Amino acid sequence: MTSKTSFPTGLPRLGAQIAPILIVCAIVFALPLVLNNDFLLNKVARYLVLGILTVSLALSWGFGGILNLGQAMSFGIGSYAMAMALKLKTIPVHTGSGGLPDFMVWNNVARLPWFWQPFKSLSFALAAGIIVPALVAAALGWFIFRSRVTGVYVSIITLATMVVLNLVIIDQQSFTGGFNGITDLAQLEIFGFAFDAYGRATFYLVASCVALSLLVAFAFTRTKAGLVVQAIRDHEGRVRYFGYDVAAYQIFVFALSAAIAGLAGMLYTIVMEFASPTFLGVQLSLSVVVWCAVGGRQSLVGAFLGAVLVAGMQGALSESAAFLETWTLVMGALFVLVVLFLPKGLAGLTKSAWRWIVRRRLASQGIARGVGQTREGSA
Amino acid sequence: MRISRRTLMKNAAALGAFAGAGFPHIWVKNADLARAAGGEIKVGVLFSLTGTTAIIEESLNKATILAIEEINAAGGIKGSKIVPIIEDPASDPATFSEKARKLVVGDKCVSVFGSYTSASRKAVLPVFERQNNLYWYPTLYEGRECSKNVVYTGAVPNQQQDEFVPWLIKKFGKKFYLIGSNYIYPKEENNYCKKLLEKYGGEVVAEEYVPLGHSEFSSVINKMRSTQPNVIFSTVVGDSVVALHRQYRAAGLDPEKMPMASLTTSENEVAAMGGEAAAGHFTSAPYFQVYKSPENEKFVAAYQKRWGADKVTHFVSEACYFQTYLFKQAVEKLATSDIAPPTIRDAVKGAETIAPQGKVRIEPENLHTWLWPKIAQCKSSGQFEILVEAKEWLKPVPYAAYPGQVCTEKGLVEKS
Repeated sequence: MTSKTSFPTGLPRLGAQIAPILIVCAIVFALPLVLNNDFLLNKVARYLVLGILTVSLALSWGFGGILNLGQAMSFGIGSYAMAMALKLKTIPVHTGSGGLPDFMVWNNVARLPWFWQPFKSLSFALAAGIIVPALVAAALGWFIFRSRVTGVYVSIITLATMVVLNLVIIDQQSFTGGFNGITDLAQLEIFGFAFDAYGRATFYLVASCVALSLLVAFAFTRTKAGLVVQAIRDHEGRVRYFGYDVAAYQIFVFALSAAIAGLAGMLYTIVMEFASPTFLGVQLSLSVVVWCAVGGRQSLVGAFLGAVLVAGMQGALSESAAFLETWTLVMGALFVLVVLFLPKGLAGLTKSAWRWIVRRRLASQGIARGVGQTREGSA
Repeated sequence: MRISRRTLMKNAAALGAFAGAGFPHIWVKNADLARAAGGEIKVGVLFSLTGTTAIIEESLNKATILAIEEINAAGGIKGSKIVPIIEDPASDPATFSEKARKLVVGDKCVSVFGSYTSASRKAVLPVFERQNNLYWYPTLYEGRECSKNVVYTGAVPNQQQDEFVPWLIKKFGKKFYLIGSNYIYPKEENNYCKKLLEKYGGEVVAEEYVPLGHSEFSSVINKMRSTQPNVIFSTVVGDSVVALHRQYRAAGLDPEKMPMASLTTSENEVAAMGGEAAAGHFTSAPYFQVYKSPENEKFVAAYQKRWGADKVTHFVSEACYFQTYLFKQAVEKLATSDIAPPTIRDAVKGAETIAPQGKVRIEPENLHTWLWPKIAQCKSSGQFEILVEAKEWLKPVPYAAYPGQVCTEKGLVEKS
């Protein structure tokens, strides 16, 4: 690759890579033109949020080679941060005086615990929803990657950490709402502008975050750090011999991915109007891995679309009378199909289809020319 | 990667199967359907058919469907058929919320029958309150809720305990061991139980909560041995009930000396653990399958005919059944053009029907239900024997443990 036309670092050209992201973002922003129904807007917004979560996993798994089975932990932390702030904004109809959240009154808590206090400020909550997951991930990453833990053990540690946090939340119900989660929330209001879960404002907020996270993740993969991270994925030892601090890069991508997941979690609370321990449950966390695999983990757009399509299909299938009893089976069968025939996911399929079309066209042009020549010749 | 035409076709076929299998459904718009158009009244049925609570919730789905089929077979509601739209919320609060939105906002149902766990009710509550729709909740629960958008047809703590706790003290003694699953329902029931114990001179020897789904009770049983309570007051739920009973029996404890008194063990749980393990223990509830009344005999016979002779009915499925009839009664009072959730809510206030458990009534103040408390002992056959029947129906007091608070038609009122 020494020809002058190619990109100096050997990367595919920027335009070809960023085009799919821009197209997908444009489609997402145009969706409200088609979805003129509050319920559908809300529903699609929910799938878009799950899409952001899956992009965050694609970043750490597809690009960093770190299969984080506990990705929903960051998502859940973000979701609870938002829910705590919105809970404190409710008029305490169920509680009476003192403004304590209702579940605390039920559990005979007398005073707002210290770690709830700062959530009276919405700006603190908004920052915490992103920074706390990133810090938690960085701390966890520090232990994992400094000790050179790799492969399946990383997955086990992340999964176990998430389960522990999940159990703590369920167990400490006087401070967290326990199994029921945090419900009865106020609407998010920023500068007097209300984000109704069914409104367009919320949809565009989610859509902007889709664009933001896709672009941030994409930009990272193009930086030098992003390239080193991908090199570590491909051959960790070799990168270490070059003198790079492998663990530092891994911790960084791990934390960046957690921050994006935290953002998604905050949006999820706005769209769903509650926070629940199932948001950091094993089931959701593993679903994200499946969506990522279906979409194509080495493609940010692919992972995003994988989540939106599969979650959307899951919803549609379970709602159709014909599949009411069997929808889980159908979903399972489809996953098997994808894993068997589309190892690189939908993104891989699209890429090979594109190449095939290009080659076909080139070939057919060649043939056409050839045929034309013979006709001329024979005429 | 080189790709042949054949692989591409194969891949494309996989993709086609993937995309064609229903995704376009989400674009279907039905925003403008009238609520009771064309002689059809749409209601949602929202009980999990898959996931962790599927076994119990399936029986609730079946009881609801049975009642709807019966009503339709008898001519519907003033000529209109009830059309149930069944959704599977998969035992997951987020899915509950999504499906509730679909039923309320998408399908424009006038009411939704659903939920077993409090967590799932809490998850759908914002949907019903914001859309001013009506949710019919059949399960016994912890009380302390005062929503204008929920009709509660299960028992609240005062209806299960007011008679039960003094009866247990009199019959077995005053030392109570409180054991429950770790979430809000058992905690609230125990809050109320402790009040009653104080009133009747009982005492708590231990209060313990195990995680949901917990199945290892040996340390709990050891503690029971050492504290020697007269009554084990259990609000353990789900699969843990089965484990607790089996391990109690395996440990050789004697129900005659130290019986378990449960608010949650129904015919359904007994069927799962086997009658042997449950025999000798007590449950307080408004309904048991063996209750003798013409309405109940009809209900049990119809249920078993429709869903299988081995199926049992229990106090939550009974509530599913009679609440559907209460819905019918409320809608009957309305002109077809008036059928909407708020009018149904107003029409159901004070409504009465003869349920399998006896005559029930919706309390206009708080939309909870007047019920008939009963105390029964389980037999090794897997059925209960009713020992005590309330002489009159009992008013629902969802804030019974909190004398300062009353649920009224206008919402929760604080009395200082």
